[in-house]
Amino acid sequence: MMNNFPPGFVMIIGALLIPFLPHIIRQIYMLVLIITSAYTLTLGFGIHTKITLMDFEFILFQSDPLTLPFAIIFHVAAVLNVMYGAHVKLWNQHMAIMSYSGAAIAAVHAGDLFTLFVWWEATAITSVFLIFAGKTKRSYGAAFRYLIVQIGSGMFLLAGAILLMSETGDAEFKNFDINSLYGQLIFIAFGIKAAFPLLNGWLQDAYPEASEIGTVALSVFTTKLAIFCFAKSFAGTDILILIGVFMTFFPMFFAIIENDLRRVLTYCLNSQLGFMIVAIGIGTELAINGAVAHAVVHILYKGLLFMGMGAVLYRTSTCKASELGGLFKYMPITAICTIIGAVSLSAFPLFSGFVTKTLILSALGKEGQVFAYFMLLFSSAGVLIYSGIRVPFFAFFANESKIKSKEAPLNMIIAMFSASILCILIGILPSYFYNILPYQIHYQPYDFSHIVGQIQLLGFSALAFICLWHFKIYPSEINSTILNSDWIYRKMLPGVCLPLLNLVKNLNQKFYKFLEYLFVTVKNIFANTMIRNKVFDREVGQDTLIVVQLFIVILVLIFMWKIYF
Amino acid sequence: MKYLIDKIGKTNTSVLFVCIMFLILELIGHRHGETSIEDILFFPAIFGFLSCIIIFGIAISLRSLFMMDEDYYDE
Repeated sequence: MMNNFPPGFVMIIGALLIPFLPHIIRQIYMLVLIITSAYTLTLGFGIHTKITLMDFEFILFQSDPLTLPFAIIFHVAAVLNVMYGAHVKLWNQHMAIMSYSGAAIAAVHAGDLFTLFVWWEATAITSVFLIFAGKTKRSYGAAFRYLIVQIGSGMFLLAGAILLMSETGDAEFKNFDINSLYGQLIFIAFGIKAAFPLLNGWLQDAYPEASEIGTVALSVFTTKLAIFCFAKSFAGTDILILIGVFMTFFPMFFAIIENDLRRVLTYCLNSQLGFMIVAIGIGTELAINGAVAHAVVHILYKGLLFMGMGAVLYRTSTCKASELGGLFKYMPITAICTIIGAVSLSAFPLFSGFVTKTLILSALGKEGQVFAYFMLLFSSAGVLIYSGIRVPFFAFFANESKIKSKEAPLNMIIAMFSASILCILIGILPSYFYNILPYQIHYQPYDFSHIVGQIQLLGFSALAFICLWHFKIYPSEINSTILNSDWIYRKMLPGVCLPLLNLVKNLNQKFYKFLEYLFVTVKNIFANTMIRNKVFDREVGQDTLIVVQLFIVILVLIFMWKIYF
Repeated sequence: MKYLIDKIGKTNTSVLFVCIMFLILELIGHRHGETSIEDILFFPAIFGFLSCIIIFGIAISLRSLFMMDEDYYDE
């Protein structure tokens, strides 16, 4: 029976029991749920569970070489989340994280678009509680906006699925043609969740407003689920290369001027998603492997960075670069783990980012995509200054902070330490890691050219940062809000639409007043000319009778004239 | 050396020396890139340094356009 359960399903059902369990037992119970769910991954590739409802066959559990790496990393990330959030005694966030992780894992194993739609929306509905858990006025607003965008993306998916169903008779989750209408609808649905340029506002709006453990969980699942969907359905679609290139470099500029360090990390997340999208656009075996590998390691190192910043937020109640600094003295382990995350992100040799970024760059080079290649190289250099150096530097080293704090709780340290070990292990032993990728490849990231090229690129990027800082060209951090694409629906549309609505409202009122005036006038005319003491008044019976008789006579005359002439 | 440490600090001096070592490393073996332009001597170093300056320059110029008060959306 258990074998037929799709992975993740156990976690969603099991999450219902979480509110009734005491604190420590709840943490152990959640780990058991994840392990039980992971057990189903041993079943091998193929379709394992189907149900038929309303004459439609829902494929609940389908696994293939592409689902496996995502399923593995989602389970690992779920375990890390449980460890990282163990200090939180209230049940609500744990329940949200468990069902959210379960929904994302189940979505990866969906075999048709309707099953995918159900889990797609489930990830949105379960994860929104993590943003509510931020418990600020801003987080409430951000949560509602997040929910609207995510549910909206689901609506595009549903519309695409229905159209596909009506055209082809089945809704299998497979490779789609971008030139068809259903393909375009599904593309937009995935694009919203993958935070495409101008559709990315929700990401930078909502994630930094979530609780410290919520942001870690959010950074793992939603966007990577979209990457998985793109890899499955739109591999080799040329437009993705252009979109991906734009995605990699555009958020960099915002990340540099942003003050909230968790928001800086969301811009960085957006930029790294661009790398994966470019690779999926290339679509070769090496490129798809690169995209999947980058998604897997990105979950680890970005999770680690969010964990570090979450620990800082938990201890100091702020994540603003302008208020932080000098925390290395008080939180050395958190600092070291964050640095490992930052170094992995920057793709230093011997760390996880290096073995995946070189895969993508090599795939681009092999396909002769020179423009995309240099844009990605440009972003690789940039990532070091806007995130790799900036985040740990402003949190732990820059100017002496007035805030004094304790080291992060033990459970957070264990989670960060585990993620750090994984980042280093993947960097040192890439061949074992490459084995879980969808295609069998023989790729050697550690050759002289790759290593020297990368360390020169990163070394001199760091030197550029040092020059900017030393010569005081780097401006001091100030509290601010950086406008992003969410400005369109938060300020511009209300700014344009509200006056328009008021105008329509005023016009409407004037129109009604005019109608009222017209009605009263016509009524008065009738009253004055016909009713009061006039022909139709009952009091004046004779007049009325004469008029009616005349009317009948005229009618008869017309009738006869019609008949005889 | 002592002058440099006094002038720019210990960390910056060490980063500078490490960077110079990275340059020397290139002279030991033959480095080649995915494209022919990358075969130019010290290309990654020059590209990395200039990229960061350009990114920084653009970002700072965007400040006046995109940077608002902290409570911009709360008003």
